[in-house]
Amino acid sequence: MPSERVLIIGGGPAGIEAARSLADLGIPLTIIESGERLGGMPITAHYAALTPSFEDAEQAMGRMIAPLLGNPAIDVHLQSTITALRGAAGNFALTVASDGTQAEVEAGAIIVATGFQHFDPGRETQMYGYYEFDDVITLADSERLLKEHRFVRPSDGRPPERVAFIQCVGSRDRQIGNEFCSKVCCGVASKQAIEIRQQLPDSKVFIFYIDMRMYGYWENQIYWPAQEKYKVNFIRGIVAEVLKKGDRLVIRGEDTTLGRPMEIVVDVLVLSVGMEPSKGTREIAKLLGLPQNKYGFIETQGAPLATVVTAVPGIFAAGSCTGPADLEDCVSMGAAAALKATALLRKKAPAGGG
Amino acid sequence: MGCETSKYAAVSYEEKLRLFEQVKGDERFAHYLYGCYECGVCVAVCPSARFYDFSPRWIAQALAREDADLVYKFMNEDVWDCSQCFSCDKCPRKNSPGGLITILREVAVRNGLKSAKDALEGYGRIIYKIMSTGTQVAPDMLQPAAFPDWGPHVKEISENLQWWRRALPPETLHTTETSWDVSEQTLRELYLIWHVTGVMEMIKEVDEGLHMILMDVMEEKLEEAGFDLEATEED
Repeated sequence: MPSERVLIIGGGPAGIEAARSLADLGIPLTIIESGERLGGMPITAHYAALTPSFEDAEQAMGRMIAPLLGNPAIDVHLQSTITALRGAAGNFALTVASDGTQAEVEAGAIIVATGFQHFDPGRETQMYGYYEFDDVITLADSERLLKEHRFVRPSDGRPPERVAFIQCVGSRDRQIGNEFCSKVCCGVASKQAIEIRQQLPDSKVFIFYIDMRMYGYWENQIYWPAQEKYKVNFIRGIVAEVLKKGDRLVIRGEDTTLGRPMEIVVDVLVLSVGMEPSKGTREIAKLLGLPQNKYGFIETQGAPLATVVTAVPGIFAAGSCTGPADLEDCVSMGAAAALKATALLRKKAPAGGG
Repeated sequence: MGCETSKYAAVSYEEKLRLFEQVKGDERFAHYLYGCYECGVCVAVCPSARFYDFSPRWIAQALAREDADLVYKFMNEDVWDCSQCFSCDKCPRKNSPGGLITILREVAVRNGLKSAKDALEGYGRIIYKIMSTGTQVAPDMLQPAAFPDWGPHVKEISENLQWWRRALPPETLHTTETSWDVSEQTLRELYLIWHVTGVMEMIKEVDEGLHMILMDVMEEKLEEAGFDLEATEED
């Protein structure tokens, strides 16, 4: 007999929205999350404020998760992973490993929402000295400092006078193999630049970019205020070299629109690292037999007019496990995947029939 | 942008910063510079950019970068290549590079920069005419000797200029010493405006001789009307 249950792998924004949608539709569901709590990257990477709303990440994700807790139709497995899959659409059986024990879960459909990981700036190129200089950090490191309201130079704990961001680290780069744009880093860096200027009004903040990609309302919600109200200095040109000068850093690049070489001293250098498929995404794709693209993201079928369909019937994918995605993409895809999964269950087991 | 020349004085970074702060402190500044896309639409529509090594974008960017060295350089050189036509007001961010240049020029003049004096040197006669009479270049300046390239008809016109002017319909144009008749009342008001708004001090900074001649003309008229200029300047 077909299972009426949907299994969601991954408890980030996409997975949570899929779960909320299924719960609203009255579909029983199981969430498998490898981490200690639900919430995904905004929680595990200690995001300060969401982009572009500037809402506190803990509060926003807490509000999203609240309806899932204590609902008897929702079965949440934390610190759990999938180790085996049998069956086909309508009758999947999955082995869930948790704390050394194994259990079998049946599901009619599966939604994969295993997300991304931040690009490791030490991979392939050591150009920016991430593992060499304490004051070279990533967007994710910076989120944590901003969340604690303690944006300081990691080397000595003092607030920085000058901060620079370098965009497209690990994105749009044939040398590294990540030819795609990670979609959110321009917005996130500009959001952080605003937060830095709010927390440290005497600081000077620079953003070195190739193109600023501030889609739709991000333009006037983040980019314009950053430049006009918070006087963040956007300079088109990519930094090629970071050197130590005393206890500060010197960065070298070209100010391309003024057509001159540029060398400036900074106290903190933030690398705007892009997205790569998470370890969980790579593993689950192999385990479930989902084709991956050349970057390791799960390949969806029928783009651009379909967003969550995979090559395997009955398995859907949502959010940044399919490629770079912002929060709006993730929750939209989560809801779409929930609807596709529900439609599939109803086809396999029509209401009132057998 | 060229390289630095002896056209203007090399000054300390502190002095450049002081001048830049004056530019930034102008109340129009925030309305003339929001943020720059560096898209170049201002350059595309700029007539001067076609003829000179000049870019309104550079001006906006140098100010946005808060680069006091570059601002000083532009204040001495590039700003005088602008014709102040304000075509650059096409900016999608509503910046006004032309307006920024107005401020830069005013700061250059107010601080008596040599480059400003040099740039304005040839305009002394026109400034004198406008400020003493309240109108622009006068018809009687149209002499064949001054405009040999304008052809033989200039001679004929200049000989009978009074009659040509009489033929014009508005009576205010029946004059050859000024572009049109300016009433005593208007002239007094213009003189007062130039005194109280600091224009006279700007003139003094760039051309002391011109300032002296203008003061003579103005003082006489204003004293006749019962205004005490020294008291006005102290206000």
